[in-house]
Amino acid sequence: MGEVIAEDFETEIRPFLTTYCADCHSGSDAEADVDFDSIKSKDQIKTSLELWESVVEHLKAQTMPPEDEAQPTGQERDKVYRWYNELVSTIEARPADFRPRRLSVVEYRNSLRSVLGFDVEVAVAEAEQTVTQKSLVIKLLPLDPPGESGFKNDTHNNPLSVVGWDQYSFLIDSALEELFSNRRQSELVLLLGQGKGLKNRLETFTGVPDQSHLANLFRTILTRAYRRTVDVEELAAVVKRLDGYRGKDLVAQTKFEIKTALMSPRFLYRGMAVSGKPGRQAVDPFELAERLSYFLWSDMPDDRLTSLASTGELANEKVLHAELDRMLASKKASALAEVFASEWLTLSEIDRVRKNVPIMAALKSQPLDFLNFLFTQNRPLLELVDSDIAFINPHTAHMYGADAKQMVKYVKQRGIEIESLPNQQINLVATEERGGILTMPGVLAMNKGPILRGHWILDRIVGEHLPEPPMNISPVAPNKRGEKLTFRRRFEEHRANAACASCHDKIDPIGFSLDSFGADGSYLFKSNTDDKKKKKKKGKLPVDLKTIDTSGKLPSGEEFQNIDELKKILTSSQRTVVIRNIVEQTMSYALCRKLQYFDRPTVEKIVKEMDETNGTWGDLFHAVAASIAFRETIIPGK
Amino acid sequence: MLTEKNTMGRRRFLRGAGVLLPLPFLNLMASNARADAFRENPPMRFLTLFKPNGVHPPSWNINGGSENDFRLSPLMKPFEKHKEDILILDNMGDFGFSSHANSTRRFLSGHHSNNNSASVDQLIADKISGDTPHRSLELTTEGLFPSQIGCSYISYNKNGKPIPRESDPQLIFDRLFRNPLASPTRRKQMASLLDRVLEDANSLVRKAGREDRRTLDEYLSVVRDSEKRLATLQQHEPNAKMDVDAFKRPGAGANLDEQVDAMLDMIVLALWTDSTRCISYMLGNSNSRMIFDFLGINEQHHYLSHFFRNFNRSNLDSLLKISLWHMEKFDRLLTKLKSKREGDGTLLDNTLVLYGSGMGHSDNHTATRIPIVLAGGKGLIKTGRYVRYSKNQQLGGLHKALLSKFGVDSRAFASSESPLSGLDASNFEPYQEPKFASWIRADGNQIQVQGRLRMSDNLDEAKIFFVDVAGQPSVRVEVNFRDFHDFNLAYHCGTAVIIKGTGQQQGQRWVIEKVSDLISVFGRKPGQQNG
Repeated sequence: MGEVIAEDFETEIRPFLTTYCADCHSGSDAEADVDFDSIKSKDQIKTSLELWESVVEHLKAQTMPPEDEAQPTGQERDKVYRWYNELVSTIEARPADFRPRRLSVVEYRNSLRSVLGFDVEVAVAEAEQTVTQKSLVIKLLPLDPPGESGFKNDTHNNPLSVVGWDQYSFLIDSALEELFSNRRQSELVLLLGQGKGLKNRLETFTGVPDQSHLANLFRTILTRAYRRTVDVEELAAVVKRLDGYRGKDLVAQTKFEIKTALMSPRFLYRGMAVSGKPGRQAVDPFELAERLSYFLWSDMPDDRLTSLASTGELANEKVLHAELDRMLASKKASALAEVFASEWLTLSEIDRVRKNVPIMAALKSQPLDFLNFLFTQNRPLLELVDSDIAFINPHTAHMYGADAKQMVKYVKQRGIEIESLPNQQINLVATEERGGILTMPGVLAMNKGPILRGHWILDRIVGEHLPEPPMNISPVAPNKRGEKLTFRRRFEEHRANAACASCHDKIDPIGFSLDSFGADGSYLFKSNTDDKKKKKKKGKLPVDLKTIDTSGKLPSGEEFQNIDELKKILTSSQRTVVIRNIVEQTMSYALCRKLQYFDRPTVEKIVKEMDETNGTWGDLFHAVAASIAFRETIIPGK
Repeated sequence: MLTEKNTMGRRRFLRGAGVLLPLPFLNLMASNARADAFRENPPMRFLTLFKPNGVHPPSWNINGGSENDFRLSPLMKPFEKHKEDILILDNMGDFGFSSHANSTRRFLSGHHSNNNSASVDQLIADKISGDTPHRSLELTTEGLFPSQIGCSYISYNKNGKPIPRESDPQLIFDRLFRNPLASPTRRKQMASLLDRVLEDANSLVRKAGREDRRTLDEYLSVVRDSEKRLATLQQHEPNAKMDVDAFKRPGAGANLDEQVDAMLDMIVLALWTDSTRCISYMLGNSNSRMIFDFLGINEQHHYLSHFFRNFNRSNLDSLLKISLWHMEKFDRLLTKLKSKREGDGTLLDNTLVLYGSGMGHSDNHTATRIPIVLAGGKGLIKTGRYVRYSKNQQLGGLHKALLSKFGVDSRAFASSESPLSGLDASNFEPYQEPKFASWIRADGNQIQVQGRLRMSDNLDEAKIFFVDVAGQPSVRVEVNFRDFHDFNLAYHCGTAVIIKGTGQQQGQRWVIEKVSDLISVFGRKPGQQNG
């Protein structure tokens, strides 16, 4: 950063902040935790890029300073914008410092499965309408809280504990008991590798041990567990330690050796075995393979990827991108929807919408199947907001009017009361209002009321992260006797003061645009989406349709009559904002860390590219994988 | 399946048992006083087995009979060999219609509104668990049923909140017997494991950068803490050792049947090793949607349990197969408990078992004539009997009685203030049935018979009924499909009826092949409710 910028900050910007902002935003009780006094060093000026970005946004949108406070002149504003642009232009893209991290619970579950060839599961009788945690891993391990990035794969601040250690140990014992049981003979034989008959291979553990099979076993397990080529001497040492053991003792000792590998930091953490001299460099090929596979699969690299890393081919641009396409075509890529998008879009909230499991599962599988379709079928990024494809099953069909007729008819088997069903892909023709993630029944139902709906769209789709509301707010006043004001009207009065308006001017118009959908996500306007039977039973709708006002105005001044028009704004004039959020979320997840100021140029480059080419999700994944942040690292000095 | 030696000496075993125990209990085990006391006077355990979805009353209820002279019902056939060890209670429950969730809470909590109190098993656990490593185990077979969450729980804590249940026998086994810190062999193994990973981590430290170092230090400190803990445990080494590794880990069940068998064996082992003294086990959620495909059934259990509204012959056959399976599991449990010698008797003598459901009639959900069978509990209850009370009894009264048997002081349980009498040798007011005559009148192929109606003992022929007539072979009644509903024979089972119809005599036995009328001798009529 140029000296000039730091000097300008002191002479031009700090006085501006003191005049217009410091009343509220300084000291220990600063509003929204924004404290301009805390910016002291030159370095802080640079690393606080996000703060300056939000200052500029507020100034441009005229949401700050609040209306009833002194307002800066146009000249004063321009001075801030100029300074900000200069600051941004001095920032150079660079990779982050290398940091190892523990596998998240989901990554650990998937990796353990990939090492051994099976899932460690809890025995439980399966029945419709029940929920169970089948994975012993998820059941036993302490839950991951989301990291600074908002994603659970960001485990940097979630260290291993003694409790966690005991659970890992318990899990591995359980898994290895199973590996050597009759049930897992075929998995064990696979690990013992090629050559001789099946029976001969298993006899390794009953008759005379076959060194080559044991070597196969450990070569496979260690390569997988450590996600890199196993050291020849290390392998030889393991096999040598098994020398002299027979039968039961050999099994016990083999289990012990496997457990040692699976309790090692090299398995439990990512990046423990990364080598390199201090300084900036390309990540080593095995680390690159891991970055790819944990990004796309939430799982370790498969044997092919590790082998391409070992030959060095993976560093080749063409090979890397071909591998990425191969991985997106794999079933494992559903992890992008189930882990990445589910955390980003808080889809686990849908679990609480309905108690009847098949209905809940239907509501939840809709966005998951839709996102998986966008991610793996190379659909444009902005189809997230609006699309003419949907995934429905007989439990959600009544929300899709005539379009539901596209489904293959379902006949319930005798003696089954209600069952979970797979989705079918349909085209939205009669029910276009359902297109995209914003108006999916489960997503609408998981956010109760217009304020939470509006906030969710801002926070998750637009990427505008608003501060917490103050704690001392009284509830929205009920109607006085004889008054018949809508919630929207009463809420407008409630939030009239300037401090509230700074956020609610953004939240409310978006939230109220979804008032055309009921609390359960049903569409209130079109008769063809109403379940006729239900209507008969319940009589009239809970709200008078004539009182619903879905129109609004964004802080940008753009007006819309309803959610369809709002979606159009989000995919046209506001598309860059949405794309930027998509890019930031995806990069943050791929890198398992919060983005830093030095990631800004990379983000902007990808945003520009996506915006100009109407890029697809596939394009985005390729762009992220090709970025400096993903391909390079800085190994800190000792 | 479990191959532990049943003849293992009590003293040797108990010293060994100390090895299973987590740290706080090791001190207690250092002395042998407890072991001696255990041998002289084995503790009483409490075990409950919940059968979901009530019963099909005609096949479950005992017809007629008295306290010491009774004939087991068709569904109780698997109990014939346990007849002397069980106490069958009848006329339990005093409530009309009950939802699945309410009836489930009722099973161990006395009443569905008793939702601020611990269930009876938990109150007993507080009293009897002593210094066992596990205060109690709450077990089940299937997942949670969120549509009516109360269907998933029978055990509740002192605030009336449900206690999480466990379904996996291997998991329980590992917790009880494979705790890596609890056996010397395993501790030794853990110690060498820690050495090895420490070595591994240290070799990484040598090449680690600053950031790696910080993460590695996290890992190393956990490993060192684990080492310290092991060292502490080593100092508390009991003198004698038992090889818990000799207990065979249960296999992973391929289906529900195998899973339940493994769990039952696990339960017996847990009680026998005094790992715990109180266990509740649900053979399924109430309202269970399980499909018993291993019995060749493709419909859900709950659907079938509504045998009247979803009536057809194959549905009824399927329901009876499932109910019989429940009974076979109870039989297996009793047989296993009896196979373990303890003191001068068996483990069953020292275990009071409560088997039953929360509702009686599975189609109309009445909480009357709820199936309840007690077993074992030598000295606490008097087995070998059939106790049918004169009036419908609150389940809370039974629970109150159980509490006092186990020495738990309580003024009232689920607002039942007096304990149920008749569990031991105490007097109870037995059910009095009005007297009636029995006879057969035949005129050509026109037959009339008066007597007590009952289902065939053979559950495979659910369309066959019998009317018992004094001094003659029972009259066989073959029911056509339509007549099941038209005459509702199932409803009248166990009571005196006149049946008219056409048929013939086959050998000594009269057979009615087509029913034309059914009259209840005492004017019983099905109510508004089904069944």
